[in-house]
Amino acid sequence: MAFLFISSVFISNAQDMTVEKIIESYVENTGGREAWMSLKSLKMEAKIEFSGMELPLSITSTKSGEAATVVNFQGMTFYQGMFDGKTLWGTNQMTMKAEKGESEDTENIKRTKGEFPEALLTYKDLGYTVELEGEDTKEGVECYKIKMTKKAQLVDGEEKENVVYYYLDKENFVPIMQEQEMLAGQMKGQISQTLFSDYQEVDGLYFAFSMTQQLEGQDGQEIVIESVELNPEIDKTLFVFPSE
Amino acid sequence: MKILSTFFVVGFAFIANAQSIDKLNGDALFGDIKARHLGPALMSGRVSDIEGHPTDSKTIFIGTAGGGVWKSQDGGVMFNSIFDKHCQSIGCVAIDPDNPDKTIWVGTGEVWTRNSTSIGDGIYKSNNGGKSWKKMGLEKSDRISSIQINPNNTDEVFVGVQGALWGPNEERGVYKTIDGGLTWEKIFYIDENTGCSELVMDPKNPNILYASFWEHRRTAWSFSSGGEQCGLYKSIDGGKSWNEIHQGFPKGTLGRIAIAIAPSNSSILYSVIESADKKLSGMYRSEDAGENWKHLNSDFGLVVRPFYFSRIVVHPKNPDIVVKAGLFGSFSRDGGKTFKGLGAMHPDIHDFWFDIKDGDKMFVATDGGLYRSMNSGATMEMVQTLPISQFYHVSVDNQKPYMIYGGLQDNGSWYGPSSSPGGVEGRDWETIGFGDGFRVYSHPEKPNITYSEMQGAEAIWRYDSDIKQSKVVKPLPVKGDPKLRFNWNAPITTSPNSADRLYVGSQFLHVSDDMGDNWRKISPDLTTDDKLKQEQEGSGGLSKDNSGAENHCTIFTIAESELDQNIIWIGTDDGNVQVTKDAGKTWSNVTENLKGLPANTWCYHIEASVFEKGTAYAVFDGHTSNDKNTYCYKTTDFGATWTSIITDDVYGFARSFQEDFENPNLLFLGTEFGLYVTLNGGKNWVKFENNMPATAIHYITMQKQTNDLVMGTHGRGIIIMDDVSPLRQISEKMMADKLFFMEMKPFEMSEQSDFGGTSSPTQFVGANPSTNARITYYLSKRHTFGKMSMKVLDKDGNFVSNLTPGKKKGINIVNWSFYGMGPRIAKGKSFARGGMTPPRVPAGEYTVVINKGKESYETKIQVDYTKNSIFSLAERKQQFEVSKMLFGLNEELAYMVYVMDEFIVHSEKTSKENSKMKKTGLKLTKELNDLKKVLVITSGDNYVGTVENQLREKMSNVYGAITGYYGAPTKTQMQNIALIEGEMNSARKNFSSIQSGSLSKYVNALKKNEITAPNLKTFEEYVKKD
Repeated sequence: MAFLFISSVFISNAQDMTVEKIIESYVENTGGREAWMSLKSLKMEAKIEFSGMELPLSITSTKSGEAATVVNFQGMTFYQGMFDGKTLWGTNQMTMKAEKGESEDTENIKRTKGEFPEALLTYKDLGYTVELEGEDTKEGVECYKIKMTKKAQLVDGEEKENVVYYYLDKENFVPIMQEQEMLAGQMKGQISQTLFSDYQEVDGLYFAFSMTQQLEGQDGQEIVIESVELNPEIDKTLFVFPSE
Repeated sequence: MKILSTFFVVGFAFIANAQSIDKLNGDALFGDIKARHLGPALMSGRVSDIEGHPTDSKTIFIGTAGGGVWKSQDGGVMFNSIFDKHCQSIGCVAIDPDNPDKTIWVGTGEVWTRNSTSIGDGIYKSNNGGKSWKKMGLEKSDRISSIQINPNNTDEVFVGVQGALWGPNEERGVYKTIDGGLTWEKIFYIDENTGCSELVMDPKNPNILYASFWEHRRTAWSFSSGGEQCGLYKSIDGGKSWNEIHQGFPKGTLGRIAIAIAPSNSSILYSVIESADKKLSGMYRSEDAGENWKHLNSDFGLVVRPFYFSRIVVHPKNPDIVVKAGLFGSFSRDGGKTFKGLGAMHPDIHDFWFDIKDGDKMFVATDGGLYRSMNSGATMEMVQTLPISQFYHVSVDNQKPYMIYGGLQDNGSWYGPSSSPGGVEGRDWETIGFGDGFRVYSHPEKPNITYSEMQGAEAIWRYDSDIKQSKVVKPLPVKGDPKLRFNWNAPITTSPNSADRLYVGSQFLHVSDDMGDNWRKISPDLTTDDKLKQEQEGSGGLSKDNSGAENHCTIFTIAESELDQNIIWIGTDDGNVQVTKDAGKTWSNVTENLKGLPANTWCYHIEASVFEKGTAYAVFDGHTSNDKNTYCYKTTDFGATWTSIITDDVYGFARSFQEDFENPNLLFLGTEFGLYVTLNGGKNWVKFENNMPATAIHYITMQKQTNDLVMGTHGRGIIIMDDVSPLRQISEKMMADKLFFMEMKPFEMSEQSDFGGTSSPTQFVGANPSTNARITYYLSKRHTFGKMSMKVLDKDGNFVSNLTPGKKKGINIVNWSFYGMGPRIAKGKSFARGGMTPPRVPAGEYTVVINKGKESYETKIQVDYTKNSIFSLAERKQQFEVSKMLFGLNEELAYMVYVMDEFIVHSEKTSKENSKMKKTGLKLTKELNDLKKVLVITSGDNYVGTVENQLREKMSNVYGAITGYYGAPTKTQMQNIALIEGEMNSARKNFSSIQSGSLSKYVNALKKNEITAPNLKTFEEYVKKD
């Protein structure tokens, strides 16, 4: 989930910077709020390359909260992060059968509803809070650090604060990194980062065509976006947990 | 796009003007050069404080002596470091009782004041559970013993400042803030020598506070605990007034006093007293909130080394269960009357934490890490995820992989590999010395021979790892010699010119040319020989403490020039620098030439330059004189003149230094707060923070074959900056380029298997270095807009592989694992695992191309076979050709199945939709499906529901086995290939037969019925990878 923008023509003075101005600048210069909010769905064709292999991915998401990632490998099709608004599911790679996600994971996905196309665009409507936490250097670039507090996540039966940090390049207001503490599992407490680059325009909107996911201090894995389709035709049965 | 292009022009113009070595900061320079943490965690290191969340028993924080703050959120199994950017010596951690998930306080400066303890630099606060921190003042506090937060108003915080260990300090006392740390008021002060060593708050009444005050002082040669001002005080009005509460305490001089309140009954207090009257030292209890005290116990476990063990913890629910820190730790169930020991664990216990929900579960802080017990301390289990080991020194050898040698605070001497299959695990480390470990060296030519020592050179061992035999080889006094004085951390070093030579420093320089069997003194006393600094027997104050830690007027550092074995430098702990140019016949004391250096400042390290005989660097550490300035001098004339190379960029006193051995302007400085690098000989310094904590670096060395900078840190174990060679090439001219490829030495392809890794998920494993080609370039600006891609071509320009380019400003390192792209594998219903093996490229020259927007950049790299390979070129050629043939065979089969699949789908559809196509369509579908069943697996799953392998699986398996090895295929493999080729021939024949039969008829029928045939890719299109 991350697509964004360009430029600072609406920003005149860095001292006047507020978190709202920074975000609004991003919104307006990456296509404008109207264009972003008229988006109903997105489909991205992407690939991951590792050790001489290429894994093609097809990532679909919709304004009504459905999501799908479809991976093809050696003739097999894997579904990951599939969600139809009610049920989270994915393919078990041993049996190649669909299995439902755990109830807390499902609940947590439900709580992200409304973040499409990107929480920086919809945070106000969702009741999320944003704060300008200051400045920091990421990837050698001086950035504004924006803290976004989203709806709480359910972790082992307890409500846990859900904070995401965005780092926007001070020179051009483009987010180049997103950071979040892992809230559950063996990696709990470690910092997960997503880097954004290769921003390109698609029908007037700007999207990051490269996203790299990593744990802080470690090497990451890049997802290369090869194409972005706005408002594609989607057969919504794709998102639904398949019956046997 | 107009806005975007405008931006680029403006952006680059700005950058072209801004890039200069003098103005670089670390974030914009180091890029992908990251610190690699090796740990180890099997011996771990000193934990100084434990603090738990008040309501969530799974959240636990520990403060450490030199490794920062760590947080567990799973009940104390896994821990994450949360304080990397700040001072790593921790006095205490406190959690806001009203907002425990978010507001955390850290007081820096360990309060267990052994000789090797580090220093603090203030109090810090986090408002987000430890994700980020802000310093809230008290910068000169040096050591913060306690932080107490009013639970009714958590902006009101009381802080106990123990203060400086090595000198007077007016910042001692009790401080209070009423605005969450924005401002502080000193509310209780005794004098500049007596600090607040403990401050506790009544959990039921925040106006009631107890503060113990301790007079203490270290010098480099002595320690003193106790004084007339030591005492225990109580306030009942929120710190406005304080009264001494000594009713029942011994009269006369007191020393360190521990104090604790029973959380379940705050009238019950425990105190442990260090007293001039030894019979009355030990455990006291009050049942009336300190009005009266009763002496209970003077057991050894309670009175031992008060400066080091002075923590009492009372069970959260039972006021009679009390534990006391000590050599082994003491546990009482009868309110302190009697004590038993805790279960076996590392000795030297500093703190405890009882689980808030399960009172039998407890954590214990030791010199050897954190332990947990499920049964009230009867048996202890070590937490194995804490790489907070405290190295005093580090050295490396020339093996491949090279081994790392070093000694640790209270944890012996060790060596372990810089890399190991599966990562560097605890089991990879070998122990080679008892006690505290310090300097450990491998014999330069005999890797089985290692030298190690224990404190004060009580023993110096020569160990032969081949026969597991050790021999004490310490220099001994002979007729006419005075007593030899050895530092706690006595210098040993080998020679860069003579393999069997070994140096040891007492007040004299001793040399052996037969690996330590026989010794010669080659100097007079090189120290100041100040007799007043040699009275260690009287050290300790109220509690005598002559451990050897205060031995003084000793040689501390020895450096023989690599350029001339007759040139030897020494530095002493009392500030002398002396040099000989004739192997010790005559010595020059060049100390007075060090302008600006306070007299008697400890010479911690001397580095003899590898470029010029007269050039050397000397690092001085004044912190034992309460001087925290940074001192590093350079001489180019054998010490006749010295120039300071320290600038305001550097924070913290320094102990260690390393000169690069190719670029004389590339220097590394280890300070108490991390690593600094200069690219211009010290005109300015840049802090290295990529995965590098602000930990004290006690020693730095460099491995010559790998260019790795290896750091022995006193709190975060061994940390390596892999291959610093890119830093040698940074220049302003280079930085003016948008993208500049660094010069890269030929890369060697490892042939080791991936087997390895036996640690459990709850054990720390040190990271391995990359074994890939590390393609390195400098970007003057981060790539954010437009497409950027990277690929490798062979010498003929053929595509080999895509790579993921780094895009950050500064140095980018892209790993290429020497693989080309794997073959297209036929679609089936299971994994063909052999098909996941990409072919490794042959040795040779390759071109790396980066396309960035409209611009293209390229460089050549050389790839070599590993030098110790067992394979001949002829064998490799055979492997390459067979692998290539099988690669082609796999892709031929994949294409055949692709074509079949396309026609199966098409014919199924048309036969349903068009009655005229039904017969030919169904026939074709059946024939193709029948054939496909013997070509690929078409049923089952990827686990135990798997079915018999078909041609695809057999073919890819033998392909994978041959491609994954680097030598010639075996006869058996070739016979298997012949079998598979036979099956492939049958497949070709059968498919050809279908093509000329049913498929041909089907295509004709399609034409006749004006139905579009499948739009097939050509073979070339199908297998295309670039």
